[in-house]
Amino acid sequence: MAAGALRGVLWPRAAAGLRAARAALAAPAGARAASEMSQDMMPGPYPRTPEERAAAAKKYNMRVEDYQPYPDDGLGYGDYPMLPDKSQYERDPWYQWDQPDMRHNWGEPMHWDFDMYIRNRVDTSPTVVPWHTMSKHFLLFLSIMLIMFGLGEIYPSYRPVGPKQYPFNDLYLEKGGDPNKKPPTVIHYEI
Amino acid sequence: MGAHLGRRYLWDAEAEPDPLNMPSFPAELGLPGRQPRAMVASAAQLAQARVPLEQRDFCGHHLLRLLRCQRDTFPVPWQCHPLRHRWDSCQHEDYVMRMKEFERERRLRLRQQRLRQRHGDGDGDSE
Repeated sequence: MAAGALRGVLWPRAAAGLRAARAALAAPAGARAASEMSQDMMPGPYPRTPEERAAAAKKYNMRVEDYQPYPDDGLGYGDYPMLPDKSQYERDPWYQWDQPDMRHNWGEPMHWDFDMYIRNRVDTSPTVVPWHTMSKHFLLFLSIMLIMFGLGEIYPSYRPVGPKQYPFNDLYLEKGGDPNKKPPTVIHYEI
Repeated sequence: MGAHLGRRYLWDAEAEPDPLNMPSFPAELGLPGRQPRAMVASAAQLAQARVPLEQRDFCGHHLLRLLRCQRDTFPVPWQCHPLRHRWDSCQHEDYVMRMKEFERERRLRLRQQRLRQRHGDGDGDSE
């Protein structure tokens, strides 16, 4: 107990000493590690002059003709390029990509929503059959089925037999009829 | 599906029986001395056996005997075949009776049509 108490007194002092040493060696606030991107590689404000556009295209490894930033309507994309909204599933599966699972080459400009367009998530692949053909077929099928079922309700099909005959006044009591009231008399005859 | 459906929906609905309104003629018409159907099992017995309502028909006594036999001889399935046959043939007779009722209704409707036509012709000739 005495040793524990002593240890309890000593360790905060040791921690304070370590903290002071670490603070002396730490970098100033706001500094970035060497593994991160430098300031000139970060996205910047919306490019206004053609020189700014050329510089932004070079920054993003794109040709000047291909580079198209998002329109400056206050949504805050800056000079990030607007790439077509195609998912990674639409890219060639047989080409030797640097990152085959992402179907992405090193240095290629990534879409703003790249994490959405990976192959595990949203897929914008075109349908095998054109959309209007698919919808026409489906609506045709649905309407025909509904019409046929509707006709079946209006004109039901039945066997050429009379209704089934039940005893005890058509099971008046069994179907929940009032035992105090006299049930309507139903007599079935042999034929 | 059948000729009766074609006649009812496409041609003459008056001459075809409506299964929801049957029988629409008095029971004694054309069949004097008809006997009412006899119910052998009582309502209390059917209720005690907890028979489903759709099966509490005029063949209920055969069904009760069959159920009793099945309960007694379980799990041997073939010992109740005679009773099963008796219940099935009773149900068959009941179905044949339903067919006969339908046919009777149809013939009475046709007869009614003929009578109306004859009276209609008679009035037209007399006038």
